[in-house]
Amino acid sequence: MPEAAVVSQPNLLQRIPGVAIVLGALIVLFGAIAPGFLSAANLSNVLVQSTILTMLALPMTLIIMTEGLDLSMGAVLTLTSLCVAIVSLATKSMLLGLGAGVLVGAIFGAANGWLVAVLGIPPFVATLGTLGVAQGLSLIVSDGQSVVGIPHSVRDIYSATLLGVPVPIVLALASYAAFHGLLYHTRFGTYIFALGGNREALRYAGLSPSRLLIAVYALGGIMAGVAGLLMTARMNSGHPTAGLGLEFDAIAAVAVGGTSFERGNGWLLGTVLGVIAVGVLRNGLNLISLPSSVQVASVGLLVIAALFLDGLRSRS
Amino acid sequence: MRQQRLGYLALPLLMTAAFTTQARADGETIAVFTKNQTNPYFQTVRVGADVAAKALNAKTLHYIPTKPDSIPEQLSQIEDVVVKRPSAIVFIPVDYKAMGPGVEKINDAKIPVVNITDRSASGNFVSFVGADDYSLGLETARYLLKTLGGKGNIVIIEGVKGSLTNVDRVRGFNDALKENPGAKLLASQPGNYQRLQALQVMENLMQSNPQIDGVLAANDAMAVGAIEALEGANRTAQVIGINGTKEAVDAIKSGKLLASGDYNGFTQGCLGTMMAIRNLRDQPVIKEIVLKPTVITKDNYKPFDVPLEQRTCPSFEEAAKLGSK
Amino acid sequence: MTDITKDTASTAGSFVSRDTIQLFYRLLAALLICAALSLLSNSFLSVGNILNVLRQASLTFFIASGLTLVVLTAGLDLSVGANVALSACFAGTVIHQTGSPALGVLAGLVCGGIVGLLNGIMVTALRIPSFIATYGMLWVLNGLTYWYMAGDTIHGFPAGFRQIGSGYLLGLPIPVYLLLIFLAIGTLFAQRTIWGQEIYAIGANPVAARLSGIPVAKRLLLVYAVSGTMAGLASIIFLSRLNSAEADIGESLTLPAIAAVLIGGTSLFGGVGTVFGTFVGALILTLVLNGMNLLSVNANWQPLVTGIIVVLAVWLDMKARGRTQ
Repeated sequence: MPEAAVVSQPNLLQRIPGVAIVLGALIVLFGAIAPGFLSAANLSNVLVQSTILTMLALPMTLIIMTEGLDLSMGAVLTLTSLCVAIVSLATKSMLLGLGAGVLVGAIFGAANGWLVAVLGIPPFVATLGTLGVAQGLSLIVSDGQSVVGIPHSVRDIYSATLLGVPVPIVLALASYAAFHGLLYHTRFGTYIFALGGNREALRYAGLSPSRLLIAVYALGGIMAGVAGLLMTARMNSGHPTAGLGLEFDAIAAVAVGGTSFERGNGWLLGTVLGVIAVGVLRNGLNLISLPSSVQVASVGLLVIAALFLDGLRSRS
Repeated sequence: MRQQRLGYLALPLLMTAAFTTQARADGETIAVFTKNQTNPYFQTVRVGADVAAKALNAKTLHYIPTKPDSIPEQLSQIEDVVVKRPSAIVFIPVDYKAMGPGVEKINDAKIPVVNITDRSASGNFVSFVGADDYSLGLETARYLLKTLGGKGNIVIIEGVKGSLTNVDRVRGFNDALKENPGAKLLASQPGNYQRLQALQVMENLMQSNPQIDGVLAANDAMAVGAIEALEGANRTAQVIGINGTKEAVDAIKSGKLLASGDYNGFTQGCLGTMMAIRNLRDQPVIKEIVLKPTVITKDNYKPFDVPLEQRTCPSFEEAAKLGSK
Repeated sequence: MTDITKDTASTAGSFVSRDTIQLFYRLLAALLICAALSLLSNSFLSVGNILNVLRQASLTFFIASGLTLVVLTAGLDLSVGANVALSACFAGTVIHQTGSPALGVLAGLVCGGIVGLLNGIMVTALRIPSFIATYGMLWVLNGLTYWYMAGDTIHGFPAGFRQIGSGYLLGLPIPVYLLLIFLAIGTLFAQRTIWGQEIYAIGANPVAARLSGIPVAKRLLLVYAVSGTMAGLASIIFLSRLNSAEADIGESLTLPAIAAVLIGGTSLFGGVGTVFGTFVGALILTLVLNGMNLLSVNANWQPLVTGIIVVLAVWLDMKARGRTQ
């Protein structure tokens, strides 16, 4: 049953939840047993490693709030990262490469939105379809090979710093600020809450839920484009399979962060904490050299534990 | 009296000298990077590395992405490892081009690194130990074509598109085919190095080609998949694979598989680790070892039938003879 | 994910309904694909190829049939592929240790069933959304399998056991018989038993289902356990067909199973869909892949074609039902 849309941030006390407990526990644990974990270099690494996923998880939060899902994000990221590589290689311009990536991402995002909003196809199915198309295009465009030789200006994006802060973190912070402002301080943000909880209200207000949905999914595509630049910069190349599967990590981060699949509530900060929690887990396990198979299982246990804790609290 | 006192001093002095040199030369940590946890080939590399380290009194730490072959994850693991600062690194890049920035980070951190298996497109390495995928493909295919008398209908089952090993091995296959004008290439389809896919591809190929005499598979898992497909359809063909896994050796013993190119993960792992340790101890290293191709057949499989843990690493002198330069 | 506007009065218990018409159209689509392929390739319509297609489709079908029940309750099971891998490795070990194929089959089924049950417990007792619960389970299972197999392969099983996957009976592959059996069981269960009707009701409207006295938690446990057990069955077929198991065999199995369920007309919102539809979905998927192999279409196109078919199938379905959001 749809609830009335709540256009306010959740009470902070209600939100010292699964994700914050888990993240706090991990930091304390690894601070104690993992040598070098708390060093500035390492913490900076963890944050930088989390930026690409953050840029996917932020729009994913919005999409999930509209009771949707975007399974194509990883594949679209891969494709946009290839576009950035190919275009910047051909034009020797980082900005043109970024533009190409964002454009391709926006097209796929809008396509997702159109399939969901206009054709009425369930988001899981629609984005599964665009996943296949994006993945196929990545393979076809690159014939399975990496694209190398791209200009240094692209590469430097990942390693450069702005006032001592690594550029990827700056971009992630800017994205977070933008999304936060969008969701909590604009009318568009209230519409997003309404899309999840109370679509009729939108129609009565004379707005078109379809156009709004398309915009939300397009936002996801655009962010995939920006993340594509970061990914290409990180690898100094474009690769046809590099980003596949990241959408599941993004969805898990959103869920771990406390956004529910069903209630139209969303907590952006929770999402970011969720991304960082998984990053901290991986980093800490690498530092203590735990066997890789145990690492794999730990990621699953983390996700389950966070959701379980959340479920406990919301029932009490 | 004085001499006795000196004598008493000598022993502790000697022992201290021995201990300090030992402390400097032993107990190094070698971080070994492999591509995934599921491909048996990388397990042989890891065992080889462990055996070499143990023999030289060092220890190994293994770094494997949790998502198989994940480029971003290997990059992250490099960053994490640089914080930990192992003594040296033995490195198989998940992708030989995309890991460039990662190798640069290792170089910048001044951690010595040895490259094995897939030759990285960039970066400074203490040494490279690898097999020549092209020659492996060429020699193994030549063996099959010789067995067929230089003629027949051949299909190729390729590996993962874009992977360096695949590109080189298939090129080797094709060049061997060119040497034998009597052999006809019917189809070349990818099996993604996966058993099930190769089986299904083979099944489908058998439908459109009633007569297949030889199958060139780019790895053993696919070769075995193709054999299962053939047996299921009550057809026979000569099949070769590459890797030299235990399963392949068993299949060669039983006559189902004609031959397998020995990719020698164990040797690559142990020699790479040996070079890394020698470099740390200021001993001479061999800058490049490209293992000569060996085709495992019914006639020479015995040394390859030994379980991994019982194998021994070639000595440094033997290593010098194994490859070029 | 619930949708108030969906059609709730459709499916359980009635054979000539809108669903039957949908099934008819799907079968028609499958036949059209067959017709097209037989025109494009003269190896398609051979007995051998048709049997291959049926056998290849059966593997996807076994996994997808259990998954159908889960999706009928508006849930999802992302762990099925990893479940197949773990169960196959476990069953293989049991056969090697005990020498008894029967025990191995039991081991595979039980392992799969237990995993399924654990999924069900997470969804019902721990109240974790099925997407996340099974996603977490996927990672845990992979970790377990990687650790257990340590990069190795289990291979070499008794000929009697291998008949399950590769044997023929009166000219038909044994997996095809199993497919028909489970198709019948699945359809009868879903359409003709009270439990089946209750499952549809839970998916259509969980609140109403609970209010009308249906033990929702128990039925949910049941569907997840069934999904897991069917994954266990698939693992036995896999093991006996490929004569081996490795840790990564499940990677490529989950998405096709989900696609088969969706193409078959089962709605993710719950309450709508049939096991027979899933069979047709699996068939369509396999036909397309088979066709691409026969026509030597570049493998790069496979994900693209599969994605388009899934969307197309669901869209056509929705147009036919006259349902839009």
